[in-house]
Amino acid sequence: MIEIEVFPHRYLKAKTTEKFLNEAYSLNTVERVIIHGEPLPKTIYYGPARGTPVNHPERKEINVHGVPVELTVMAGRFWITLKDDSELDKIEEICKSLFPYGYNIKVGKFTKNKATVSDYIKYGEKLVNMMDKTMIGLTDPRSKYKSSVKIIPKDKKEENNCKN
Amino acid sequence: MAYKPQYYPGATKIAQNRRNHMNPEVELEKLREIPDDEVVKIMGHRQPGEDYKTVHPPLEEMDLPEDYVRDLVEPITGAKEGHRIRYIQFADSMYYAPAQPYDRARTYMWRFRGVDTGTLSGRQVIEMRESNLEEISKNFCIDTSFFDPARNGMRGATVHGHSLRLDENGLMFDALQRYVYDEKTGHVLYVKDQVGRPLDEPVDVGEPLPEEKLVEITTIYRKDGVPMRDDKELLTVVKKIHRARTLGGFMPTEKIFEGL
Repeated sequence: MIEIEVFPHRYLKAKTTEKFLNEAYSLNTVERVIIHGEPLPKTIYYGPARGTPVNHPERKEINVHGVPVELTVMAGRFWITLKDDSELDKIEEICKSLFPYGYNIKVGKFTKNKATVSDYIKYGEKLVNMMDKTMIGLTDPRSKYKSSVKIIPKDKKEENNCKN
Repeated sequence: MAYKPQYYPGATKIAQNRRNHMNPEVELEKLREIPDDEVVKIMGHRQPGEDYKTVHPPLEEMDLPEDYVRDLVEPITGAKEGHRIRYIQFADSMYYAPAQPYDRARTYMWRFRGVDTGTLSGRQVIEMRESNLEEISKNFCIDTSFFDPARNGMRGATVHGHSLRLDENGLMFDALQRYVYDEKTGHVLYVKDQVGRPLDEPVDVGEPLPEEKLVEITTIYRKDGVPMRDDKELLTVVKKIHRARTLGGFMPTEKIFEGL
């Protein structure tokens, strides 16, 4: 199992993010994708216009292989867990076609693979021991499962897609 | 003593651009013409056409105690009228924005009277009497090559974005999306005022400048553009200031500058 980071040189529109995720999930070796980016607030949280809705055009629902995913960030990088490195070229091709302004791809380790003390405090020992190990390191400790993790079924197997 | 201001040290293009900004005798290239009312709308302090609110009666009508400083200093027109003080704040992207906060502060101080500026890493606020503020915002800060619709933003609150990558249209990231890129016309439209209140009608601030032009007029040293370390004279000045600040208190002699 390896992890890669896809780092486009621009912040992506929801449309491009949708295209990228759909193409990435079509690959056999992609197990999960974590979307990292700048949060787009629903309402203005500071200043004289506090409470006014933002209506950001890039904060919207996208469709990844039939599963609706509510995008709450402007995607800036993707951390992708792959089964092996056999399809790295294909990911490179996808990036080349979707990010004409440039991108970087790095192979490395970007998420934790063991439950930490914070996890035990937050979820309790029982739950941590019970939970699916692919969920570890998937979300920000402060985010809620329901709003930040989407499971995209693929060839009977389950795939995770998380917004951070 | 006859004194000729030098404005800024350095032999690079960036240093020259900074000098051009600061030197009140240099007239910056006029690139766009945004109507007065539209600028007022973006600033969001008053409705276009509305009277200026005042915080004190006109100075002439006031019974003020004798003070020789008052005779020496001519008040600016807004102060004479007693207009209230308002602000405009700009955020400047690191990606070759024409101006940046420190440059803005120095430029305002050199060029205008009656300004109070606040400088932070990515944003710069100017406070001034409202009528004078509107005048300089339009005539200097927005209409000239001091501003680029894509890389500079008028942001009163929630300014985050100056150090981030640009978005796909080349605009600086804005969580509140105060301005949008019109893909049909290629122009940038302000759909909200500077704090994020929606405007009735979008305000067109024109086309973003091409990349080559921005690289030409920018005042930002960048490793992938003109690096600061290329400028020998500037480095010497920076080092001099550093030594004077760190060693000068202990040894206030010319000795501390040796070897620069």
